[in-house]
Amino acid sequence: MQHSAFLPPKLICLAMVSVLMFGCGKKQRHDVDAITFCSESNPGSFNPQLDTSSTTADASAHQIYDRLLEFNPTNGLIEPGLASSWLVSEDGLTYTFQLRQGVAFHSTNYFTPMRTLNADDVLFSINRWRDANHPYHDVNGGSYPYFDSLRLDQRLKSVERINGYRVEITLFTPDSSFLANLATDFAVILSAEYASKLMDIGRPADLDRLPIGTGPYKFREFRQNQYIRFERHTDYFLPTSGPQHLMFDITAKSSLRMAKLITGECDAVAFPSQSDLSVIEERTDLTLLEKPGLNIGFWAFNTSKAPFDNPKVRQALALAVDKTSLLDAVYLGQATRAKSLVPSASWAYQSNAKEYGYNPVRARELLDEAGVPYNFAMNVWAMPVQRAYNPNALKMAQLIKSYLSDVGVTVNIVSYDWNIFRENLRLGMHDSVLIGWNADNGDPDNFYRPLLTCSAIPSGTNRAMWCNPQYDALVDQALLTDDFDKRTALYHQANELIFEQMPLVPIAHALQYQAVRSDIYNLKINPFGGIRFDDVERIK
Amino acid sequence: MIKLFIRYLNLIVITIFTLIFLSFLLPFMFPGDLLSNISGIVPQTNEQRLALEHAYKLDQSIFHQFGFYIESLLNGNWGVSLADQATLYNEVRIAFPATLELVCYALVVSIVIGIPVGFMSGLKNHNPIDFSVVTFSMVGYSFPVFWLALIFITIFCLQLEWLPISGRVDLLFDIPVDTGFLIIDIARSSIENKHQAYMDALQHSILPTASVAIVTTALFVRFTRRSIMDVMNKDYIVAAKSRGFTQSQIFFKHGLKNALLPILPILALQISTLITNVMIIETIFSWPGIGRWLIQAIYQQDYPAIRIGMLVVSLFVMSMTITIEFITRAIDPARERAESAAL
Amino acid sequence: MQRFNLYQEEYHPSPLVNIWLEFRRSHIALSGFVLLVLFLIITVFAPLLAPYSPELQNTNAILLPPSWEPNGTIAHLLGTDGLGRDVFSRLLYACRTTFGSSLVIVAISVFIGVGVGALAGVLSGLRSSIVNHLFDSIMSIPTLLIAIVMVAILGTGLFNAMMAITLALIPQFVHQTRTYVRNELQKDYVLLDRLDGASSRRIFIFSILPGMVELIVVQATIALSVAIIDISALGFLSLGAQEPTIELGASLSLALDVAYVAPWLIILPGMCIFLMILSINVVGEGLRSALRNRLHH
Repeated sequence: MQHSAFLPPKLICLAMVSVLMFGCGKKQRHDVDAITFCSESNPGSFNPQLDTSSTTADASAHQIYDRLLEFNPTNGLIEPGLASSWLVSEDGLTYTFQLRQGVAFHSTNYFTPMRTLNADDVLFSINRWRDANHPYHDVNGGSYPYFDSLRLDQRLKSVERINGYRVEITLFTPDSSFLANLATDFAVILSAEYASKLMDIGRPADLDRLPIGTGPYKFREFRQNQYIRFERHTDYFLPTSGPQHLMFDITAKSSLRMAKLITGECDAVAFPSQSDLSVIEERTDLTLLEKPGLNIGFWAFNTSKAPFDNPKVRQALALAVDKTSLLDAVYLGQATRAKSLVPSASWAYQSNAKEYGYNPVRARELLDEAGVPYNFAMNVWAMPVQRAYNPNALKMAQLIKSYLSDVGVTVNIVSYDWNIFRENLRLGMHDSVLIGWNADNGDPDNFYRPLLTCSAIPSGTNRAMWCNPQYDALVDQALLTDDFDKRTALYHQANELIFEQMPLVPIAHALQYQAVRSDIYNLKINPFGGIRFDDVERIK
Repeated sequence: MIKLFIRYLNLIVITIFTLIFLSFLLPFMFPGDLLSNISGIVPQTNEQRLALEHAYKLDQSIFHQFGFYIESLLNGNWGVSLADQATLYNEVRIAFPATLELVCYALVVSIVIGIPVGFMSGLKNHNPIDFSVVTFSMVGYSFPVFWLALIFITIFCLQLEWLPISGRVDLLFDIPVDTGFLIIDIARSSIENKHQAYMDALQHSILPTASVAIVTTALFVRFTRRSIMDVMNKDYIVAAKSRGFTQSQIFFKHGLKNALLPILPILALQISTLITNVMIIETIFSWPGIGRWLIQAIYQQDYPAIRIGMLVVSLFVMSMTITIEFITRAIDPARERAESAAL
Repeated sequence: MQRFNLYQEEYHPSPLVNIWLEFRRSHIALSGFVLLVLFLIITVFAPLLAPYSPELQNTNAILLPPSWEPNGTIAHLLGTDGLGRDVFSRLLYACRTTFGSSLVIVAISVFIGVGVGALAGVLSGLRSSIVNHLFDSIMSIPTLLIAIVMVAILGTGLFNAMMAITLALIPQFVHQTRTYVRNELQKDYVLLDRLDGASSRRIFIFSILPGMVELIVVQATIALSVAIIDISALGFLSLGAQEPTIELGASLSLALDVAYVAPWLIILPGMCIFLMILSINVVGEGLRSALRNRLHH
């Protein structure tokens, strides 16, 4: 047979290989001064006042905004933020804040500020959640879960402007956690000037979507499920060494985040999977940061629904599951067993708190006593995102499912998109849920109040929908004093109540991890909430 | 000819109308609140609900609603997404070109490699080269694309660390979306290092293109090989051979055209398979195209987005199919209609 | 075995036997066939073959590597997954779901498709070219798209995915049957039947259908490989089978979570899908060439 005029296959292969090589070679970074962080989900908005999800806080709290006060990420002490100093009156009711002068707001293509920060901005930011008649109160939902769950709006008597740079806040009763609350991710300061401009042009909802703040980065662009782009705020009031550009690459799968970290597409990733931790430690080009977290992962029952309104049923379910194996399989040992709400890092920790052991026989007995039939079906909602306090809720749900089938309870696992998931939780559509809580400040009240008090039900942080006046009284009482011993005793009483009533099964206090590429410097784990990039650098 | 054209035009119009009608019915079948499913807005107050119902003509007869739907489709007023209130028209305008881009890459690679290889192996029927080509193509088109993509990622990204995994271009290049076609957008953008951006875009496109193209190439090889084998067995070829023409003379004079004509429509009809594969690949490589967008919309139960996304993709596939059929018929009126099943 | 033959008569195998004889001559086709039979056996007997229950969790043996690795155990042939479940057993069950559901899908689409196609072919009233064309172009909508809509309306799940794929597969059978029936109806043997007074139904069932079987079988093998790819792709995108149903595509997507520490969990299910499709394609190809060769002889 004669030769046809075609390329022999060898040549074609060669051509293919050369095309491949053309595009290959070890990836070299470009000269753009930028850092990419791979986050796990879409932020609900760009205003942490509206949302307790840490995804929202990560994307906005320390990037776009500042607070009056800040936590020192290393020792947890309260430091000056936008307020350069503050005074507390003798009776502990009046707080006076002196604001910094010349703090510039972001100037972007959608807003150019005409003035710098002053008392009006502080008043606007606080009144938005405090005052139900404020024109901006109902914009974008009208719910401020963190403040609502603490009833902070009802504890403030007045917020007043003394002069352009001085604000006075008066409380009804003394509150030992007040300053700490002002330093949390949620107490951000917005621009009143921007808000009034938006109101004038009839687009108030843009306040939380196209944000303006004073923070180290200004917002550039957000595309759902793809990325968020920030740019350095050149007029930031503190000296910072962060990059010119900051990118959040939204990557839902933890395996993909890990892969992107390896290829260098991410400089840092949120919530590395427990099973990948050893891999990260082995590699020299990656660094694993870890820190004991102020968090708790738990399994909450919807106590507003039968038969979970019966404490016996809840106890039975707690008895039916072997916590040890959950810790082994889900956290791979990287967590301590939770007995009550607060971890051992907190001064209110109770080392001898009572807890239920694993006892399926007793569990079945209790279920029978409560009249729960054999093959009773319930659902376990497993959150679709990874968190330090629960790195793989789906896996935990599967373990629980197999334990519960041993005591004759059938489990349906429910899991879908994070934002819808939380909304449906808030509406109480679940039977039980695997979720958790990450502290926003070091005060134990930050665990006890939002997780289980009555007022935290409508705001959606009380996942058990549990309302117990006795418990609320204990938690309220603990705030009235500064005496640690008294407060500790009160919290231990609350622990006892939780043990008896079992609105939720505490599971673990986990270590917090952050995986970064080794040339990234100064990224610290912030135990009190959102990640911060103001000083993160790439060493050349 | 004109008669044929009118017939196909008629067909296209009816198809489009049917699809629009079907997509009009979708919100009635989706779970949840009809108003939110149509408008993408969850009304907060009763007045807002009434106003929205009025705006979307839900208080009028179903014919008015359909009329309004067609009108707003034509106006580019496609509503907003339930998940983030983004304008759907813009979202589709950005996502769809990304998908088209990947489809084009894969199609070009498949044609450039698949057809010549197919001819070669068909001509050298039953020798070792042919045998290996047949084997490779059989293996190639049996690969599930998503698995192939994962294997590529494992080898080229994680082990060798040669290529990036996700997206169309590194986020560091701040390229404003203009036409949606990256090549054009880079050219029109004002960034400094365009050359780097092109290289980066190329690197990003290699693995997704390869994953899709391997399957399509294998299919093209098989079609072409079969076709040229059939043609070369025809009497007129045998006659030409007996007159002493050389193999290449015969091939270029008679074989090429006669083998290509019947397969072109078949190849073009593969666009449906190709789009399906591209949609799956997009989710793996985080390619910001319409497939990934649609699948995310499912996860987020974003019904307005699903409806529009569906409509756009199916309209595209169908108009392509019908147009190709028309062209084939117009070129060669005598031929039986392309049998998509003839592998 | 050659039977003793008294008469020196030529042996005429039946058409089906003839195809088998042709088919058997290709070793590749035959090995594909063996593989296919193996998958069929797994599909039917998975519960008997699996050493463990696929749901059985063992938190003391998480992510064990396959038994040939240094720290694998023979108790778990292919190791265990992130919940300590036996991978081999799960793989068997996953193959069963994927292969079994695809078989069901194809069976239903053949049944409906041939029925509708025959009706369309026999009845001349439906010959409106526009309707046919419309039908043909709807057939070009990608399955994935139909599945997305079905899932959006009905929710995710294996059953819904199966419905979507069935819907997408039916038109090609309708199309083929209709074309075939219409061609055959013009042939003389049908005319003969008709002169004998046979009804259209009778003509279709006794005269046309037997000749069509081969065509349908070949078409069905193609449909089967499409069904397997689609079922597993939907499972992979978490639009198809959901926990606790074990399916190959879904297992693959589940394995991504531990991709870096347990790569074999990605290799194995993918390999199964690949082998399934390959064996079907090889058998389909073998059948086609056997048919072609038989016609040549």
